[in-house]
Amino acid sequence: MEQGQETAEERDERFERDVLPFLDQLYSAALRMTRNPADAEDLVQETFAKAFGSFHQFKQGTNLKAWLYRILTNTFINSYRKKQREPKQAGTEDVEDWQLAQAASHTAAGLKSAEAEALEHLPDSDVKRALQELPEDFRIAVYLADVEGFAYKEVAEIMGTPIGTVMSRLHRGRRQLRSHLEEYAAERGFLPARAAAAAGIASGTSAGAGQDGSDRGDLR
Amino acid sequence: MSGGHGEHSDTPCSEVLDKLYTYIDGELEERNCEQIRLHLDGCSPCLEEYGLDEAVKKLVAKHCGCDPVPMDLRDKVLGRLARARTEQVAKEAGVEAPGAPA
Repeated sequence: MEQGQETAEERDERFERDVLPFLDQLYSAALRMTRNPADAEDLVQETFAKAFGSFHQFKQGTNLKAWLYRILTNTFINSYRKKQREPKQAGTEDVEDWQLAQAASHTAAGLKSAEAEALEHLPDSDVKRALQELPEDFRIAVYLADVEGFAYKEVAEIMGTPIGTVMSRLHRGRRQLRSHLEEYAAERGFLPARAAAAAGIASGTSAGAGQDGSDRGDLR
Repeated sequence: MSGGHGEHSDTPCSEVLDKLYTYIDGELEERNCEQIRLHLDGCSPCLEEYGLDEAVKKLVAKHCGCDPVPMDLRDKVLGRLARARTEQVAKEAGVEAPGAPA
């Protein structure tokens, strides 16, 4: 056996001790990825089974959490992505001209702190929905960075992409997410008319702007 | 340059906004962080943009990572691991002991 001095039993114990505690976290991640509980449960089980099967290859002392999330992400991409057949993401490019959106934000200065406060009053379900509406690659990048707190380099390793792609996905994903939240806040009447209008402008800039929309090129 | 505090820095807003996420994520080199801080001190529109982006990041962190886990999921996972383990043990034991009671 190639596992060195550790017996299989010891390794199993180590697995239960070190890996199992990630169950809850992985379930949330799986839920954000698959967007439905049944698939999320399957994905988690499969992830643990794979992690168990290749645990002897995991180098002790390296980043266990990143290793697990890599297995989770790969499993999702390989088994569930195809199955789910997301409709082609119309509107992905819509919000892309963030420079313009930001210019709009500048003119709306003074509303921002009220706006931040309004967003903070949104219910849990709205925030989840805003994230779930993001295209898959953006959604996963934002989740890994903002919920799990992975560094860019780690997100890049987990997703198997260059760091530049990670940064671009984060940038675009967060822009879209923010404009979703602004829309929801406006719908709920949390945002005063002017701020809501500004949010509308920010999310509706696509018209003249779409010079590139380039990030989509790296999708597999 | 005279380092007047609160003075609008030389860095243009567009450059600051461009680096804002990297700054918020703590991934910007220290030298550039200083630049951003200086600018934010003197430019309220950028400062508010920063506040909003940071608020959104915190919202996601707060709301998106803690779903109630179905009670039986843990058991399902444990069951699956137990099966995998049994198979493994059986494989290894098969060499030493002549298993099958009949």
